[in-house]
Amino acid sequence: MSVIQLTDVTKRYDTEAELIEALKAVDFRAERGEMVVVTGPSGSGKSTMLNMIGLLDSPTAGTVHLDGRNVTDFSEDERTEERRSQLGFVFQDFHLLPMLTAAENVELPSMWDTDVDRRDRAVDLLRRVGLGDRLSHTPDELSGGQQQRVAIARSLINEPDILLADEPTGNLDQETGETVLDEITRLKNEENVAVVAITHDEQLVGYADHVVRLVDGVVQ
Amino acid sequence: MLGIVIGVMAITSLGMTGVALEKQATANLGNLANEVSVSPGEDIETDGITDDQVETIRDIAPATTVIPQRSNATELTARNGAEANVQVTGVTNPAPLYDIATGDEPTRLQTGALITESTAEQLGLQLGDPVEYGGQIYRIRGLIAAESGFGASGGGELVLPESALNEQEHYNSVTVITEDGETSTATANAIEAEFSDADEEILTATSFASVQEDISSFTNTLELALLGIGSISLFVASVAILNVMLMSTIERRGEIGVLRAVGVRRGEVLRMILTEAAVLGGVGGLIGSAGSLVVGLALFHVLTGEAALALEWSSSRYLLYGMVFALVASVLSGVYPAWTAANESPVDALRG
Repeated sequence: MSVIQLTDVTKRYDTEAELIEALKAVDFRAERGEMVVVTGPSGSGKSTMLNMIGLLDSPTAGTVHLDGRNVTDFSEDERTEERRSQLGFVFQDFHLLPMLTAAENVELPSMWDTDVDRRDRAVDLLRRVGLGDRLSHTPDELSGGQQQRVAIARSLINEPDILLADEPTGNLDQETGETVLDEITRLKNEENVAVVAITHDEQLVGYADHVVRLVDGVVQ
Repeated sequence: MLGIVIGVMAITSLGMTGVALEKQATANLGNLANEVSVSPGEDIETDGITDDQVETIRDIAPATTVIPQRSNATELTARNGAEANVQVTGVTNPAPLYDIATGDEPTRLQTGALITESTAEQLGLQLGDPVEYGGQIYRIRGLIAAESGFGASGGGELVLPESALNEQEHYNSVTVITEDGETSTATANAIEAEFSDADEEILTATSFASVQEDISSFTNTLELALLGIGSISLFVASVAILNVMLMSTIERRGEIGVLRAVGVRRGEVLRMILTEAAVLGGVGGLIGSAGSLVVGLALFHVLTGEAALALEWSSSRYLLYGMVFALVASVLSGVYPAWTAANESPVDALRG
């Protein structure tokens, strides 16, 4: 059973000027321990597709299954719970909170839980991405690659099944990008998560278990 | 934050200004309002108020200070030849009647004399110098301050022990000091009722009730005006705080989007922003109140000469009101931005 399954997913944006069809009857699936890279030119619907899988947006037609459950018609609160427990996000510009330390940023998704060992898990994750000595640094004291590794640690704090990455190497140089991708690959195997990364960076393709090409909202 | 501090300071300082002005007004005018002046009426048979009548007044107004006085007039001559016409008052308990600028303020005047400051200056007299009245020498024990309210006679006054005017058998007037203006009106009426009726006027009693009415209507108007200004600043402060909260949530739209995307619940975002608003309001309120306390102390020092009065509950309560206002207004102002932020789609928020 696939941990992610999009069936016949269509997304239309109805703006005043025109009707935009960002995704056209897209079928997509990904398994645990697998890294799927979605490529395509800008405007091809990559981000829209990631938002569908990440439950940040809902499709106009078609169904979304996560771990075998139909989540298409989940309410906003149900989707929030799902994001919290099943999904991890890594963004192109890291999106760390500038006032918080690395460890606090990692804890952020579960900061409101009265879970006593979340600090331990945050520290453990930061050690595993090689930032054990940067726990109390704030983002502006970290390099881009280090910030992205903090973001990866944050995405794994709630032990998700799925890690979604939006251009994870987009703001990093070639070498730093490689270490970040090595990190993602290693954690993917250790935590047995499905990784879906969208990019137009060919570097990422080398790390993929398989690659999906999107053009004009259609899977090629 | 600055908006909150300024708002709190505006309200709190205005409140304290009101109290300070009221205190100053009553301090300047108030000591007249609780006096009842009793003098002989047209139909009195003696040449003044008798001991018996004084006793009756004491019985009518038990909780008051009754001060009988004999009075006369004389001309004082200084060694250097300067002359001054003064009113002579014989009284045993002059303390409640006069403000003493320097020297004693006796409640039982048996020997010595008190004299108006200006007269003493005119005649070159100082504390301890002698003055002569009725062939007797009295040493000056205290100088009477220039009268600050109204109702006082312009001329100088020499205050002597009652025994100095013993050749007059009866009292020329009796002053009754009551607790406040209202009691003074009631006391004056009671004394009139006892000693006079439509046909016969033995004693007349005048209270400074009209002065008291003027004072209270003045302070009421003052309070109303300050309340008006206060409510405007309250409104302005609320708008400032709402603006602060709106700005801070708009500034962090992206951050809130991240929080929502990584699975932070709407209620948690709401709680976070409201908590922040409360902290902001609390700290702003504290700073504002501290600032207002300084303003208040300065104000009371200037207006009433006694900075410590600002700490009395009647004025220091405005510090509390200011703080409570800051807290309540901040949390209320936080509700709308917090609600909007929590309910925005994370995708839109992330896009910025």
